[in-house]
Amino acid sequence: MPSSQTPPAGATALDPTAVRPDIADARILRVTPAELRATLEGLKADGFTVMMDVGGVDYPGREPRFDVVYHLVKLAASAGTVAAVGTPERVRVLCGVPEADPAVPSIADLWPSANWAEREVFDLFGVRFDGHPDLRRIQLPADWEGHPLRKDYPLRGPARERAPRPNFALKSNVAAGTPASGRTAAALQKQIAAARGQSREDETK
Amino acid sequence: MAVSELPGGQFLLAKLDDVARWAQSSSVWPLTMGLACCAIEMMTATAAEYDIARFGSEVFRASPRQADLMIVSGRVAQKMAPVVRRLYDQMADPKWVISMGACASSGGVFDNYAIVQGVDTIVPVDVYVPGCPPTPDGLLYAVNLIQQQIRQGGRGGILARA
Repeated sequence: MPSSQTPPAGATALDPTAVRPDIADARILRVTPAELRATLEGLKADGFTVMMDVGGVDYPGREPRFDVVYHLVKLAASAGTVAAVGTPERVRVLCGVPEADPAVPSIADLWPSANWAEREVFDLFGVRFDGHPDLRRIQLPADWEGHPLRKDYPLRGPARERAPRPNFALKSNVAAGTPASGRTAAALQKQIAAARGQSREDETK
Repeated sequence: MAVSELPGGQFLLAKLDDVARWAQSSSVWPLTMGLACCAIEMMTATAAEYDIARFGSEVFRASPRQADLMIVSGRVAQKMAPVVRRLYDQMADPKWVISMGACASSGGVFDNYAIVQGVDTIVPVDVYVPGCPPTPDGLLYAVNLIQQQIRQGGRGGILARA
């Protein structure tokens, strides 16, 4: 199936294709924030009445850096024929959002189900939804700083980022010559053998 | 508990302290607070097979005002931490805390920004139960340890605070 998308500038290692091929059960549209509302309003008028989910993706190094993804479903009942029942039609709308001004228009007034989903994307990716009736954090505490699903957010949080991780005596660490706070695998095996009342040398004989 | 029987069998003599401790240790009522999958094991401990009622702890109270024991049964999210602390503060003295499972005790596998790395950073813990999740008998043993603590007048015991 040929793709009808306008590719965003520059593919990266994280997003090598940049243009997604249309897949069997869903058409994929790529729009700019300016075109977003008109596109979604058109789809809704076309029978795509269910907003399944609004998600976000971070492609660091790509421009635009973020994608906001809308999943729409046209219910079989409104598709017209009995034969179509059980095969709902799906559309996925990708909207590139630049890092400098991460904002897209809110569609919470078109689909109430998008209200909390947009808050989640705002909470975890820091994408602003202009016109949203109540754009607060939804999952993290209200006083949280940063947006954890951005790829550059440290896994253990900014406060614990610099604390060294415990270095366990894994075989891979030992093989790489990493000192594991004195507790190498060989030393541990010696301890275990000593506790059993036998030495490793005896076992190997 | 030292109990002596008077001739004739009409009276039992014991120290008031001992009787109070015996009563207290036999009715350690937990707070209804399930945080994650460990809570499933906690519920199993209340069911017929393990039956926490044998130790007098079957009455899970829905209000912290009526609870003696907080079982932290699962990982504590950063957002949940102030709630856990508040519930602990709302419980009346004397009170005890069981940290159930790897996540409550140390963060477990969740070494990340969202999870509190050990509930002992926000509330004092009396007994840690290892496991992922611990078995129900592990939890029962923790309750037994707390009962022992109370009978010996340990931390939080009614008489230790006098």
